[in-house]
Amino acid sequence: MPVNDVVLATEGDAAAFERVYRAHVSRIFNLARRMAGPDAADELTQDVFVRAWQKLALFRGESSFATWLHRLAVNVIIERFRAIGTARQRFLADSEAVLEIAHATRTKHLDLSMDLQAAIEQLPHGARTVFVLHDIEGYKHEEIGGILGVSAGTSKSQLHRARQTLRVLLRKEA
Amino acid sequence: MTEQRQFGEPDHEPLGTDDILSRAIGQWRDEAPAADLWPGVAARLEVRTAPHRTLVSFTLPQLAMAASLLIAVASGMTWLAARGPAAPVDTQPTVVAQSESTGKVEGGIVNANFADAQFNAAVTDLEQILRDERDRLDPRTVLVIERNLKAIDVAIHEARMALNDDPANAYLNSHLADARRRKLDLLRQATTLASAGGN
Repeated sequence: MPVNDVVLATEGDAAAFERVYRAHVSRIFNLARRMAGPDAADELTQDVFVRAWQKLALFRGESSFATWLHRLAVNVIIERFRAIGTARQRFLADSEAVLEIAHATRTKHLDLSMDLQAAIEQLPHGARTVFVLHDIEGYKHEEIGGILGVSAGTSKSQLHRARQTLRVLLRKEA
Repeated sequence: MTEQRQFGEPDHEPLGTDDILSRAIGQWRDEAPAADLWPGVAARLEVRTAPHRTLVSFTLPQLAMAASLLIAVASGMTWLAARGPAAPVDTQPTVVAQSESTGKVEGGIVNANFADAQFNAAVTDLEQILRDERDRLDPRTVLVIERNLKAIDVAIHEARMALNDDPANAYLNSHLADARRRKLDLLRQATTLASAGGN
């Protein structure tokens, strides 16, 4: 995508912004799908680009536009989680709930096929977010802690538990 | 954000390649949205961007007031000019408004730029001259000058207030610069007129 499209979009050129959208929609959609599930992915993707349009003036070019947009998308998705009740306080409680959910799911869905997407959807938002950001998107624990407002240690703990849970869910399909 | 990694990471226990989780991640393919999401985005852009446009719009009364101010200032300056030619004044500096910040003195002409400090200093100097010389002007002339200066001050104040909310707005910046230039021009003409004895 030409860099000029971002500049033009910053100046209010909607046609240029559509080109920016076309260039980045796949990555943002898949981030939303993995973090929030397929049902919410469409709407979240649209939310991200609307927010990007509103915030374009704040993009100063210190990072690549793709990185800026990705971080903005993560924030939009996490805001949605919080809006539906996954507040910071509950994020810590999620950590203890992960394995309990896994055991319950194993019994309930014993005969159902389960891919990674379905397995991830069994995780609480906090654990899912840490797993996707760390193991899929490549964020470090310090970065995740900064985004979620928790310590890096909490992020590590969440990842460890999320991985354990996912392994349990996936093994029974193997 | 760091560079995207396929899976595993340096700051946490890496996933082994034979780990069922790493295999699942490796097979987790990207998907495209089932439908084009752009129309939904575009529709919301219009709604969300509308308030930005209203920031620089003006109501009918505001436009009417702006037109009145413009007419008043133009009339005042025309009236001042019609009162008589500006006589050369040896003892008073002439302030020339410039858009560039030079601050130099060339041939007895004080170059006033539009940075706040220099602008304020030039205005202060001219206002002092005008106060000192006002008795030499017809009271009706003083009244017109003061009325027009007040109108310009209102325009400057309003432009500054609007710029507080929208500092990068080119129109508002231009409007402010024009208003300040008009104020300097009016003060310069008034002091020249007063120095010439009001004739």
